[in-house]
Amino acid sequence: MTAGAVSAGQRPAKPRPSIVAPLAVVAFLAITWWAASDELGIGFDVFELLTNLTRGASILAEFVPPDWAFLDRTWAPLLETFQMAVIASVIGCGLALPISFLASRVTSPNAFVYLLDRGILSVVRALPDILYALVFVAALGIGPLPGILALILFNIGVVAKLLSETVDAVDPGPIEAARASGGDRVQTVRWAVLPQVLPNYVAYSLYVFELNIRASAVIGIVGAGGIGNLINEQRRFFNYDNLAVVIVAIFVVVILIELGSLWLRRRLV
Amino acid sequence: MIRFENASVVYPGGVHALKDLTLEVPDGQMMVIVGLSGAGKSTLIRAINGLVPLTGGDVTIDGVSVRKASPKQLRELRSRIGMIFQTFNLVKRTSVLNNVLMGRLHEAGTLRSLLGWYRGEDVEIAMRSLERVGIVEKAYVRASNLSGGQQQRVGIARALAQDPKIILADEPVASLDPPTSHVVMRDLQRINRELGITTIVNLHFLDLARLYGDRIVGMRNGELVYDGTGAEADENVFRDIYGRSLTADDLMGEAAAAG
Repeated sequence: MTAGAVSAGQRPAKPRPSIVAPLAVVAFLAITWWAASDELGIGFDVFELLTNLTRGASILAEFVPPDWAFLDRTWAPLLETFQMAVIASVIGCGLALPISFLASRVTSPNAFVYLLDRGILSVVRALPDILYALVFVAALGIGPLPGILALILFNIGVVAKLLSETVDAVDPGPIEAARASGGDRVQTVRWAVLPQVLPNYVAYSLYVFELNIRASAVIGIVGAGGIGNLINEQRRFFNYDNLAVVIVAIFVVVILIELGSLWLRRRLV
Repeated sequence: MIRFENASVVYPGGVHALKDLTLEVPDGQMMVIVGLSGAGKSTLIRAINGLVPLTGGDVTIDGVSVRKASPKQLRELRSRIGMIFQTFNLVKRTSVLNNVLMGRLHEAGTLRSLLGWYRGEDVEIAMRSLERVGIVEKAYVRASNLSGGQQQRVGIARALAQDPKIILADEPVASLDPPTSHVVMRDLQRINRELGITTIVNLHFLDLARLYGDRIVGMRNGELVYDGTGAEADENVFRDIYGRSLTADDLMGEAAAAG
């Protein structure tokens, strides 16, 4: 194409740079300074952190050598943690599936159900799992049951959020096809939407299962069963050499489960 | 018979896509709608199965009003109207057979289809539909593994599985190359002639329209500007429809038609 063939439009002037980006950087720096300052914030000081780093060394020294004989006592609570995670994942992810479809504009029957479901999910996600565990332990007593209930709520919050956003982004073509063939809402979700999001759903479920293993270490500290109970008990008696064994055991189990779920996800997605 | 009676569609944005349209399509006819993008072709087709609600007038199918139909009646009506799309609209992650079985959703019922327990006769109908478009050997292949032409034939099989009285095809060949376009158009023509299914096709290639349409309807700005046979649709008629002279861009090309 010759230059003459192009219509001689005027080149546009370069637009003026936006003021938003520099303002955002200034705001970001100001908030960080505010959070760390001595007068207004928590008085965070990197040098203090470095000079005091050695203070904990005497306590850390008590972690080594780990008392490997204690390993025998970690199996039962670890198994309980694993079982809690399995039950919470199955129930939580199962409930999250229909909840996700009601929480997406694409599949929700109307605006009321959509907003109600979104609202409930926001409330569920507002509290961290350990607070749910505290509440359920208070209501039901110490043991794995309140832990499982806390994890179920946590799982619904995570999976429904991720999955409903995935549903928002599905290809609308098959949905139109299902509706055009006379399918009702349930059939449309089942055959036009679910096959599109199924690999994501499986991946999210495996992800929350991993999170459950980790979370149950923490919620056990407030009495909600599993390996956390053991941590709490050993910590209270300053048995740091036993605690070291528990930490290593959790570390190994979490890594193994992550590897397993990674392998599964690769095959499924 | 499909009857448009002063049918109008105004979209929420204010676009008047269908203006006071009156039109009759007798049973068994192969009608092609031509017009520029935005002329209202897709709206007209979707008004027939209620995917686009009318804002004025009515569309009746064998005397049954689409506009006044309850949700349940509308599903009933739709179950006898197959639809074929420009982008095929298959679920790519699942098998060809599962896609075709989507045409059996209404007959299978909610609970049965929810669990995937289709009756043997539903599967049999799906398989026969695949045989009719010549790709039954792909029944258990993932839809994403098929070529564009094969995917559109799955789309046709899905429509056939509904045992439809009417087939609506919205730009069915716009995503396909010329030789494949002719294969798909011939499939539609054969189905129309052998099964007597009323077939309404949106096309934007005029030579395809003339080649396959028993009747050609021209649309411009939501209004009917031509209604006649392909043979009568000459240069002047297309100038009316397109608002300008015919160019090579409006033709798919005759070379491929022989193939």
